[in-house]
Amino acid sequence: MPLSEPSFSGPALSEDLEDLYENAPCGYLSVGPDGRIFKINRTLCRWLGCTADALVGTRFSEALTVGGQAFYDMQLVPLLLLQGAFTEVSVELVAPGGSRLPVLMNAAERRAEDGRLLFTRMTVFNATERRRYERELLSARRAADAARAEMEALQQATQAHLLDERATAALREEFIAVLGHDLRNPLAAIDSGMRLLRRSPLDERAVKVVGLVQSSVTRMAGLIEDVMDFARGRLGGGIALVVTAVPLGPVLQQVVDELRASHSGRAIEVVLAMDGPVLCDARRIGQLASNLLGNALTHGDPAGTVRLSAVTDSGRFTLTVINDGEIPAALMPRIFEPYARGESRPSLQGLGLGLYICQAIALAHGGTLEVVSGGKETRFLFWVGT
Amino acid sequence: MESNPSILHRNNVRVAGTGPRTIVFAHGLGCDQAMWRYVAPAFADQFRIVLFDHVGAGGSDLTAYDPAKYCDLNGYASDLVELGAALQLEDAVFVGHSVGATIGILASIRAPHLFGRLILIGPSPRYLNTGEYDGGFTTNQVDELLEALDDNYIGWSTAMAPVIMANADRPELGVELTESFCRTDPAIARAFARLTFTSDNRADFAGVSTPTLVLQCTDDVIAPPQVGAYVHEHIRGSTLVRLRATGHCPNLSAPEETVAAIRAFL
Repeated sequence: MPLSEPSFSGPALSEDLEDLYENAPCGYLSVGPDGRIFKINRTLCRWLGCTADALVGTRFSEALTVGGQAFYDMQLVPLLLLQGAFTEVSVELVAPGGSRLPVLMNAAERRAEDGRLLFTRMTVFNATERRRYERELLSARRAADAARAEMEALQQATQAHLLDERATAALREEFIAVLGHDLRNPLAAIDSGMRLLRRSPLDERAVKVVGLVQSSVTRMAGLIEDVMDFARGRLGGGIALVVTAVPLGPVLQQVVDELRASHSGRAIEVVLAMDGPVLCDARRIGQLASNLLGNALTHGDPAGTVRLSAVTDSGRFTLTVINDGEIPAALMPRIFEPYARGESRPSLQGLGLGLYICQAIALAHGGTLEVVSGGKETRFLFWVGT
Repeated sequence: MESNPSILHRNNVRVAGTGPRTIVFAHGLGCDQAMWRYVAPAFADQFRIVLFDHVGAGGSDLTAYDPAKYCDLNGYASDLVELGAALQLEDAVFVGHSVGATIGILASIRAPHLFGRLILIGPSPRYLNTGEYDGGFTTNQVDELLEALDDNYIGWSTAMAPVIMANADRPELGVELTESFCRTDPAIARAFARLTFTSDNRADFAGVSTPTLVLQCTDDVIAPPQVGAYVHEHIRGSTLVRLRATGHCPNLSAPEETVAAIRAFL
């Protein structure tokens, strides 16, 4: 059975090769062995805005800029001569009118049986938009490369600066540790000198002076202890604890007695309600209590009462120190930071390390140190255990 | 020590042929030692042949590329001197194409014993016009050239690879079909091109006292005739031969004529 004709109207589909060459959606160009153009299609002529006659017989190199021609001779001619072809090459064609046409080109040599070059065929694609995009891409890439190089340089400088800073800081803290350590010996000598003097018969005035000197020695020993704890903490040693189960009552009572002695005339109320020994570093807890109580006496309202309570309740140990007066709100966020003391009362300034070290002692015990200030009262709360 | 393997690796040095005398072939911009494939074999029966790639081109060791060293043609020349020492060259023949010729001259200034004959193909001591001197290029035109290199920067490596495979109609290329020609790292190629087109080696050319042959092509845009004449004039006792070959690469486009001219000089 014969196949029926497809039912469409109009001419049968077939390609006119001459028309395909002339009006193809790309440019065609043929260059003879002498480098002269001998055939060019209509599409390319249209792109270049001229007739075929204007180009046939001219050298292909004349359709390039001088720089482009140097590039062609330098990079593309060797490829043609070595491998007979090149593909996807970007060049700019110069029309007889002088306008420039960015194109992508492929080229292939046509050789005779004996290897003689007959001509070179070139296919040309208009690449105006693409070239613009590629150039933007290239400049973006160059900018990115430059930015990256700049950033790396900056990073290196920062890194070096940081290392330098760290080294300086470490050196400073090491110096503090050594200084603190070296100050303890002469201080111990003064202390024992005072003890010796006290045993001798002294007049009333001398007794008073010895008492004052010993109080200053105690205070200075505390400051040195703070400084060394601070330096140790900063140097990565942390606060070392010697934990034992001890009755804290006597320890705290001694702290209170010492401070009472140096703050005679101040009202201190003490509640010690502990039902047994507490698992802790007694010396450190004493240091913490001494710091908090000392602060309360120094910074609190001199007319008010300072209250200290130490309580154990089902495994939890709580130490509370309360004084009249408030901490300035601006100081509160930094209260536990080193050197965060209030700046309003320069005469009472210590090193500003006391609360920082209290916090470190609390943390080393796995406990918590909190402050609440308001309603004309300031309350420091330390607790450890469940 | 017979030779220094690291230098031979760095410059992808190939040695072939036998003979009492050695010919060193130095390629120029835009290609590699493949430039000599139609010329070098013609001398292999009478000479020892040395081919190499400048660092950054062809099969050279790209990791050896040091921008600080290769920002000066003397960086390339010192490689050539090291190569000469590694191969114990003495009174050899130097054949240099394009900027390769300049590099050979710089090397022979550093190590005068290396070369007894210089053959310069399409040489130019200075591409940029400078005062009275006509090098063939304005600054603008050099920028155009660098721009053309840039435009082929994107996809350079990928564009070159498939090209190599398309040689079914050139069976004489045989086994080397899979080898790529004129490979070059685009960033290095750009730096090398900029260096080449901005260098001024006129004083170096004027100091050459080795017997020299200058080969000048017809219609060479890169090394135009007035530049060839300048080179001939400024190298004392040099021989100038004008080739019928057109373009900048007679070693590829007219190997017979090139070989004959070199032979006649030797």
